[in-house]
Amino acid sequence: MTIYSFWIFDRHCNCIYHKDYKRPYRQLRPRSDFGPGTNDEKKQTSGGPPTGKGPLSVDDDAKLVFGVVFSLRNIVTKLAGEKESFFVYRTSKYKLHFYETQTNLRFVMITDLKVDGIRPILEQIHAGLYVEYVIKNPLSPVEHANGVGVNNELFNLGLDRFLRPLSIFE
Amino acid sequence: MVVYSLYILNKAAGLIYQRDFNEGLKRLSSNDYLVLSGTFHAVYAIASQISPVPSSSGIEVLETETFRLQCFQTLTGTKFLLISEPRQQNTDAILRRIYELYADYVIKNPFYQIEMPVRCDLFDRHLATFIRGIP
Repeated sequence: MTIYSFWIFDRHCNCIYHKDYKRPYRQLRPRSDFGPGTNDEKKQTSGGPPTGKGPLSVDDDAKLVFGVVFSLRNIVTKLAGEKESFFVYRTSKYKLHFYETQTNLRFVMITDLKVDGIRPILEQIHAGLYVEYVIKNPLSPVEHANGVGVNNELFNLGLDRFLRPLSIFE
Repeated sequence: MVVYSLYILNKAAGLIYQRDFNEGLKRLSSNDYLVLSGTFHAVYAIASQISPVPSSSGIEVLETETFRLQCFQTLTGTKFLLISEPRQQNTDAILRRIYELYADYVIKNPFYQIEMPVRCDLFDRHLATFIRGIP
């Protein structure tokens, strides 16, 4: 039972947080000169859409993930009504879990197939960690303009401490 | 246990068959159906690209609070989308049976052109009987 990656997108469709836990086969090109696990987002000239051949940069991956999530939400809204959103989708090799808050903040987690019912975990990450450490931090930016993401030490530590003991994480 | 609707998409993301069996979802115009099928086809392709593990398929199951969408892609690229209640059992068995009916009454119909919209009366009738018979 593994978590592959975790993303947070804000209501302006920017990726404001991204964490890779396990990437068994697909290596991503680093998006900046900083060390791994960094959350700074720089506007990269990625030179066109990702071709899908060769390693994708993290920016491209974020765009693809957001695109999938956004389009699926549109489909669900069309079929079921304005208030509805999807919880999870499954493919043959992974599951993508989605949680959207009332403020249009989107939490996405990609895990393997054995993981079930992760929605309360995403709700907890929002309520217990994001709200506590990011929103209540008077110094953190309200609007993440220019690609500045969530660069909050307490949030990173809290997230690690929260996720690692969970049985789904190895 | 209710099946709401069935969509069949061809290789080029065109909608070749759409049928609502039960009430429960919003009424959509035929343009909406076409847009939906095109969007889903694209999302299916991207979903296999963002996979952290290589050679993943596209979206097989999508779950929401009010419905569950199951997708079955054949080896020829035809997609069968089944939208049902969230707690419907055996949706993959239902999809396989629908695929069998499709193979029997649509593909083997000598007047049917591949990848064109499905207008086969026998397929409609057998499909209706099968869906009504699902417990």
